[in-house]
Amino acid sequence: LLLTWTATSRADAPDPAALVARLARPAPASVAFQEIRFSPLLKEPLRVSGELSYTGPGALDRKVTQPYQEHTMIRGESVRVEREGEPPRSFALKRAPELKGLLSGFTALLNGDAAGLKREFAVSVEGAEETWVLELEPVDPKAHRRIQRIVVNGGGSDPRCFSMLNDKGGGSVMLLGESAKADLGSKPTLDTVLARCRGE
Amino acid sequence: MKRTLQAFLLLAAWVGALALLGLFVQRQLVIGTDLRLFLPSPKTPEQKLLLEGIGEGPATRALVVALQGAEPERLADLSRALTQALHDSEHFQLVSNGEMSLDAVPEDLLPYRYLLSPTLDQTRFDVAYLRTQLKARARDLASPAGDYLEEWLPRDPTLELVKVLERWQPMQEPRREYDVWFDQSGTRALLVAQTRAPAFDPDRQRAATQALEQAFRELNEDPRITMTVSGAGKFSVLMEERTRTEAQMLGTAATVGMVVLLLVAYRRSSSIVLSALPLASAGLAGLAAVSALFGTVHGITLAFGFTLIGVAQDYPIHLLSHRRPDVEPYAVARSLWPTLATGVASTSIAYLTFLFSGVVGLAQLACFTVAGLAVAGLSTRFLLPALIDPAGRDYGHPGLLDRINAAIERLPRARWVAAVIVLLCAAGLATARTPFWENDLGRLTPVPEDLLMQDQELRSQLGTPDVRYMVAVHGQNDQAVLARLEQLEPSLLALVERRAIKGFDHAARYVPTEATQHRRQSRLSDPEQLRADLQEALKGTPFRPEVFEPFAEDVEIARKLPPLTVDRVRDTPLGAGIEMLMLEREGVATGLITFSGVADPIALGEWADAAGPDVLLLDLKDASESLVAHQRTSLLWSLAIASLLLVGVIALSLRDRWRVLRVLMPMILTTLIALAILRATGVSLSMFHLIALILAAGLGLDYALFFEHAADDAAEQRRTLHAILVCSLSTLMVFALLAASSLPVLQAIGVTVTIGVVSNFILALLLTRPAGENRVRA
Repeated sequence: LLLTWTATSRADAPDPAALVARLARPAPASVAFQEIRFSPLLKEPLRVSGELSYTGPGALDRKVTQPYQEHTMIRGESVRVEREGEPPRSFALKRAPELKGLLSGFTALLNGDAAGLKREFAVSVEGAEETWVLELEPVDPKAHRRIQRIVVNGGGSDPRCFSMLNDKGGGSVMLLGESAKADLGSKPTLDTVLARCRGE
Repeated sequence: MKRTLQAFLLLAAWVGALALLGLFVQRQLVIGTDLRLFLPSPKTPEQKLLLEGIGEGPATRALVVALQGAEPERLADLSRALTQALHDSEHFQLVSNGEMSLDAVPEDLLPYRYLLSPTLDQTRFDVAYLRTQLKARARDLASPAGDYLEEWLPRDPTLELVKVLERWQPMQEPRREYDVWFDQSGTRALLVAQTRAPAFDPDRQRAATQALEQAFRELNEDPRITMTVSGAGKFSVLMEERTRTEAQMLGTAATVGMVVLLLVAYRRSSSIVLSALPLASAGLAGLAAVSALFGTVHGITLAFGFTLIGVAQDYPIHLLSHRRPDVEPYAVARSLWPTLATGVASTSIAYLTFLFSGVVGLAQLACFTVAGLAVAGLSTRFLLPALIDPAGRDYGHPGLLDRINAAIERLPRARWVAAVIVLLCAAGLATARTPFWENDLGRLTPVPEDLLMQDQELRSQLGTPDVRYMVAVHGQNDQAVLARLEQLEPSLLALVERRAIKGFDHAARYVPTEATQHRRQSRLSDPEQLRADLQEALKGTPFRPEVFEPFAEDVEIARKLPPLTVDRVRDTPLGAGIEMLMLEREGVATGLITFSGVADPIALGEWADAAGPDVLLLDLKDASESLVAHQRTSLLWSLAIASLLLVGVIALSLRDRWRVLRVLMPMILTTLIALAILRATGVSLSMFHLIALILAAGLGLDYALFFEHAADDAAEQRRTLHAILVCSLSTLMVFALLAASSLPVLQAIGVTVTIGVVSNFILALLLTRPAGENRVRA
């Protein structure tokens, strides 16, 4: 079954530029998310959920509502984190390549800017119209060391998952929109979550 | 000019010698710009610190940089780019925009975080403390900041390094936007750039400012963004440029005026060459003498020296005006020589006393002027006559001069004028309301008011150290000083609490005493205990039990570390701040406490008094004013001695009480008049007024001597009149130009000398000319 699937997908894998163009959303756009973070430091992944919103080029907001309140603002090269009961903190985006990946990948997608995406990532698409996988691999070797690849899963013109994976077996997976409501069970692993993203 | 082979050879030799001297000067001359050369040697500890330590201290070296004109995030980006670009610049010791970077700390200093952070003063790394910390870290890890912390967390789950770095930030934290400093309104990104050069060094300050501006131009892509740089160093560059431009402009105008005047007076172009030769010789001789004796020449010495030896221009003018076809030029020079020599000697005496004023700058000025005047006088006497063609106009022939002379003859020899002048001047001096002396050095090269306001505003936004108040804590060694600083910390915090100050900074905030470090060390649990507590604390957190082993290892290292010393930190990139806060001289260690936002200096003074005799509040404004006053005292002593010597020289040369009185009277009265006019118009006197008064007195003496000397024959009288008219007109022109300057230093000299020239000339006419009945009428 897998073989035939791959075969068919090759035949009618969507054209990357067309796919990216289809994913474009006019700013401001927002989407619910559930993020599952895997880290070698952790026994079990950390899970938070909330809303991700895009207000224009270089401006991304990540609002966590569960299990606590937290608001992250990305503006240009700067990040500011506000958490309930704590003084706000801010740091430069250059310190967090993962975040920079999220920003450039996400905004390029939301802008429908295939050319912009290709400047920073090697882009490849697999799958079919109803279940596609867009893989982004950072071109910049320094960024590549921290994020091995960004995987966007989706169907039609809706992205379902946005995953950033590093080579230490960690990373985070963001389930977007309808998928954000999914119940992942008590102890999800990176593999089970990724499988879920692929719609398996 | 004489057209003989001999004259030509002499001219060639002279010019050649000047060129050689010029070459020597160019090779030897190092122009210094440190203003402190013009201050006397310090007497009080405050003055010592001002001149030796703090003149180069943290407050004066800090340039405040503001970026404005675009969205805050763009400004923040540029602020970061600038900081990074200037990080390794040779011009800056430290460039900071408030951003903290974990990788700024060298690896071997990392375990010291447990000895430097105050955490262990309050708590131990027990189960309860570790558990709250670990729970907070889990949230951090799930936030976007998690990516940034993930690598560091196993080594530092309590984020001790972040606490240390935060402690090393200024106390009065400016607003932060996107991780970097901003002003309160959030519209200007702020940076502090600490230059390596002291503020007093305009050349190196200029290089630093230029490096900053170049980096800005290269990095900024947004034409809306502008950069403002402010601080003592920037001002010294600005003022030096203004002074230089204006002096150059005035100098050019004076030269053109001089050439025109000489052409009108002598109607031949050779007069320009002839009168320029002694002056050029004087300038070069002065420079050579100073660079041979002192090594470096101060910029101010150079500027004033050239103004002062302008008098030398008068010497060839006297010779040229007295030239006549029937007398060999050498004979003319010989007959003028006693008068000329008396003038040179007496002027030199006035400056010679500066040599012993104890102020290097003044000594340089004296050396320059004396050498210059002597060379100008001697070359006028012995070299110049060989070049002068005796044929040509005799200025002793009757003509326009005669009519002037007749008008002068009709003037009363008004000895009573002296009494009137003394009374008027006394009244003028008595009515003056401003302080007699100007003690504020800054007033002489004043920074425009709006720039000062802007600077103050930026500094208060950033909380950079106050430039006026500072505390010095003395002790036997670093440890004693650090201990004292730690002791003072609670009462300093109380001052902040009372809002007397907004913040303070001292070395112990960076490096605690060995005792404190040992105490913290002793509160670190032993390895087994720590590992056991950590395992217990990890229960109920999402972390794997084994990941914090690097933390346990670092704590183990920290327990055995020798305490961190100031010297050790000095050699690291973190040393920049400490470098300026700990001074060591002659076996005495001095720690400085700097303040920001000083709102209540009286409370600060009371605090310092209560703290003990080893804690000294420095009011740098006071210290610099007392220095200026001290400098003036030595200058006034020099002047008093000079006056006595001067009277002696004149008496020796004229040998007649009444002649001496006639010669000295205009000079004395002129000094009085100049003082009275300056004071009545609200001017407070500075060192530069005093120097200008000496110059004016020297000029007056020359005029009086020549008037006195020309007492015997009408043609000679006319020649003298011609000479004095040319001299005084040229001097008047040069100094009237200076008086029009917008810069107080140049203006002070210009106004004083202009008053002096006019008054000396008129008074010499009224008081010095011998009575008419003694004269042979033409």
